Amino acid sequence: MTDAASPLGEDDIALAGEYVLGTLELDERRAIARRIAQDSAFAVEVARWEARLDPLADEVRPIAPPAHVWKGVERGLFGAPRARAGLWGWFAGASGLAAALLAAVLWLGEPLPTQQGPLWISDMVSEDGEVRLAALYDEGRGEMRVSMGGDGPGDGRDFELWLIQGDAVISLGVMPHEGQAAMPIPEDLRDLVANATLAITDEPTGGSPTGVATGPIVAAAPLRRI
Amino acid sequence: MTDQTEELAALLARVALRDRAAFETLYSVASPKLFAICLRLLKDRREAEDALQDVFMKIWNNADRYLPDIGSPAAWLNTVARNHAIDRLRARKSAVGIEAAETVPDPSPGPEAAAITRSEGRRIDDCLAALLPDRAEAVRRAYVEGESYRELSDRFSVPLNTMRSWLRRSLIQLRECLTP
Repeated sequence: MTDAASPLGEDDIALAGEYVLGTLELDERRAIARRIAQDSAFAVEVARWEARLDPLADEVRPIAPPAHVWKGVERGLFGAPRARAGLWGWFAGASGLAAALLAAVLWLGEPLPTQQGPLWISDMVSEDGEVRLAALYDEGRGEMRVSMGGDGPGDGRDFELWLIQGDAVISLGVMPHEGQAAMPIPEDLRDLVANATLAITDEPTGGSPTGVATGPIVAAAPLRRI
Repeated sequence: MTDQTEELAALLARVALRDRAAFETLYSVASPKLFAICLRLLKDRREAEDALQDVFMKIWNNADRYLPDIGSPAAWLNTVARNHAIDRLRARKSAVGIEAAETVPDPSPGPEAAAITRSEGRRIDDCLAALLPDRAEAVRRAYVEGESYRELSDRFSVPLNTMRSWLRRSLIQLRECLTP
C-alpha cells in the first residue's frame, strides 16, 4: 500500500524504515545517507519514520554525562573553552535572565563569600521561566548558598534540592520559598559536588517522604566552576 | 505543541543562528537523554562519552536541518544521537557481540529521569502488540539496543534473510497502524 502523501513504493518505504531502525550494515547506511541528501521524497519518508518510531526511545531513561564531555564539545567547536575573566566576565557571557538573577539576588548588596577554595555556580530555570534558582558552592567552606527567584511551590508543597553525580541522586534539603539559604554540605558528600548537576523537584511539605524524589523535576542545571 | 516542544524548538532555532548561550542551555536540557541513548546502543561508557561529544558538534552544525513540520525537536535530537551511535556500532568489528549487552545496568530512575520524558499516547505500544510477539521484540531490540540483522538472526535462531523480511513486513504493518 502506498501512502497518498508519499510518491515512494513499499520497498523504498521499508528501506527508509530499516535505516531508522538501524539494522543495516555500515555500507548500506552510507549509501542511504547519500540518497537522503539527494532524494527529497526519500528524505521526507526517513524523517517520518524518525517521528513514528521515536516513542520507542522513551524507555531509555536519561543519565547525566560527565562534565568533561561539554568541555570537549566547546574545544571541538570553538577552540579553547570560554575564558571566564572572574565573576563579572562570566556574567557577561552567560545567558541573560539567569545571570541577571544571580547578580541581583545572590550578590548585590552582599559581599562575596570569603573565598577559600574554588567556587561553583548553577543557575536553574524552569521550562516556562517562572521558577528561577541560583546556587553557589564554596568548596573551601563546604557550603551551598541557594537563592530562590520567581514563583515558589504551590500550597502544601516544597521544592527539594538534589545533587546528581553519575547515577547517584542525593537530597540536599528543602529550599526556602523565597530569599536565600545556606546549606552546609556534609563532609562525605563534598567530593561529589564538583561537576555535579543540581535539580529541584516539587515535593510534599518537608520534602520527599521516601528520600527519593517523588515529584516532577522543576528545573536542573550543571554546577560550573567559576 | 507542549511547552517542552516549544522550548526545544526555540532553542534549536537559536542554535541554528549560532547562539552559544542557547547551545549551552540545549546541552544541559538534552544531554542526559542523548547520553543515555548512546550508552544503551554502544554499551561502553567511554565510547558513549566520545559519541555524545560528536553528537553535540553535529547538533551545532546541523541545527538548521530540523524540519518542524514532520517531527518534534526531541525526536530530531534523538535521531542525531541514534544515527551517530549506530554508525559507530556498525563500524566495529563484528566480533563484538551480544555478550556485552548485559554489562551496562539499567540505571534506577532518579529525578533527572522525568526531565525530558514525553507523555504522548503510547499508540506505538498498541501497534507493536498487533505484531507477532517475536517480531515486536525484534523491532524493539533493533531500535533500542542497536542489534543488527546478524545479531537478531542469531538471537531468534532464524536465517538472516528471514529476519530481514520479518522486520520489513513488521515495519510496513507498523506504518499502517501508526499513520493517522
